Amino acid sequence: MKRQELVFEQPRELFASTPVETEHGARDAVRLLVTTPSGHRHATFADLPRFLSAGDLLVANESATLAASLEARGSSGSYTLDLSTRYADGLWLAEPRWDPAHPGPMPIEAGEEARVGDATVRYVAPYPGIPRLWFITADRPLEPILQRAGVPIHYGYVQKVWPLDAYQSLFSRVPGSAEMPSAARPITPKIREALEVAGVRFTSVLLHSGVSSLEIETDQVEEQAVYPEPFEVSSATADLVNRTRDSGHRVIAIGTTVVRALESAWTPDGVRPRRGFTRLFVHPGNPVRSIDGLLTGFHDPVTSHLAMLAALIGLPRVMEAYRAAIASGYRWHEFGDSHLILRK
Amino acid sequence: MAQSSNAGTPAHSERVALITGASRGLGYTVAEFLARQRWTLILTARHEVPLLEAVKRLQATGASISAVPGDVAHDQHRRDLVAAVRRVGRLDILFNNASELGASPFPALVDFPLDVLRRVFEVNVIAPLALIHTCLPVLKKSRGLVVNITSDASRGGYPGWGGYGSSKAALDLLSKTLANELREAGVGVVAVDPGDLRTQMHQDAFPGQDISDRPLPEVTLPFWAWLEGQDPLRITGQRFEAQGTVWEVPA
Repeated sequence: MKRQELVFEQPRELFASTPVETEHGARDAVRLLVTTPSGHRHATFADLPRFLSAGDLLVANESATLAASLEARGSSGSYTLDLSTRYADGLWLAEPRWDPAHPGPMPIEAGEEARVGDATVRYVAPYPGIPRLWFITADRPLEPILQRAGVPIHYGYVQKVWPLDAYQSLFSRVPGSAEMPSAARPITPKIREALEVAGVRFTSVLLHSGVSSLEIETDQVEEQAVYPEPFEVSSATADLVNRTRDSGHRVIAIGTTVVRALESAWTPDGVRPRRGFTRLFVHPGNPVRSIDGLLTGFHDPVTSHLAMLAALIGLPRVMEAYRAAIASGYRWHEFGDSHLILRK
Repeated sequence: MAQSSNAGTPAHSERVALITGASRGLGYTVAEFLARQRWTLILTARHEVPLLEAVKRLQATGASISAVPGDVAHDQHRRDLVAAVRRVGRLDILFNNASELGASPFPALVDFPLDVLRRVFEVNVIAPLALIHTCLPVLKKSRGLVVNITSDASRGGYPGWGGYGSSKAALDLLSKTLANELREAGVGVVAVDPGDLRTQMHQDAFPGQDISDRPLPEVTLPFWAWLEGQDPLRITGQRFEAQGTVWEVPA
């Protein structure tokens, strides 16, 4: 697949900059675009139970969001240091930025040091193929500094720093994501109850999301370097997924992180329990086999997430859905509207 | 996500690695990555001048680095290496990275000069095991990890790769067996296939061919970063692909 195929015109006024509940009282007050083989339908998130059936299985990500954005003070002054993924004690992958609205790459050299809280961090090496990301080492654990001084990672389209709670979902349980696995954000206890009453079941996987979806820079999409994320699929979840599909019901991932985790645990005999780090890049050359649907948000042009949607239902249908979403003013990003994609 | 326990982890400056074949290629790349994290390193390679040049560059990181030039196939050299390890008093990772390809271009097995094959097995099988023998007391004390560098040739059956490939197949089984034998002693053993890399060794395997489409050894850094975070006993006995899709921790 060519990079050019994932380009589309995205009006900036469609970027959601505030959590919907601050204006409309409830998280489920977002819109829901439903894409099925027969077309696209406009609904509200509270309508979700209407589109699912008894026996369907929704798979959530139980990773909770960290306050992963820190202020660093280096030789060139103060800047933002967003932690992406913890690799070992004191060893993280991180993204230095001029500030939340202005990405790097910053003029950083290996061996350079910065102060973060009461820790000294040193830049070890850039991530191969993704020079804006660096391995950093710290002289003391960064977790307590995140708790004291960290704020949720945010970008230019979010003008205000919202509390960490705005970045957790009903399913958040194990801290470790740099950015919110946000697809589950609109699911309120009321919606979950309505789904359960309708016979829809829930289970979860774990995948700690790193910093934001990568813009693909290589001409050939499949050649883009992607970084790994920690994940775990339990035997209980693997069993439920396999039994749901064997009985002819649908497995629907809540978020692209869940797709990455389940596909990483896929074998020709179905999903099996697995944990570790996954570098799997789901794109049209790498078809999706473990799920029948995806509940997600709206993704930026030329990103790996968009390539994943193309792997799920084919690029023409994705672009058709996005044209419909833009035409009727759906909103993008973690505080934006929802998209339910069903393959059958 | 289960993470390894922090208990008993030494301060970073106290971590120690011994890397064979460290003057260039993958060995040098790993050495540089660890040196920038201020690991204490004991490095060896056959040729003294390139090794000393490499060490000089690495010392600029501020890490403590000793160079012990020599051939890992020689008893005396291995004794010198272990003496250097004993002086530091700990060993967190033993990287058995130095490897011998044999003749270039590769002869078919039916034409393989047996003295060359003996040398391939000396360097790729006997020397790693001998280093594990001599380092074992300090590996046990440090609850360390042995990393044996392997290759897809160990499973391939590719014509011409029979000498090198069979030595790496032997190293794979040696790694797996040692893992079972050393678990009780608290020492982990893994085999790591780094994948095709743009190195002198890979060029020697493909004489006269353009290998510029292969990635530089830096492509493996995320794997080494991940490996640093693993409890050796949770992953012992595994064979990893540094450029693979999933790095799995067994249940």
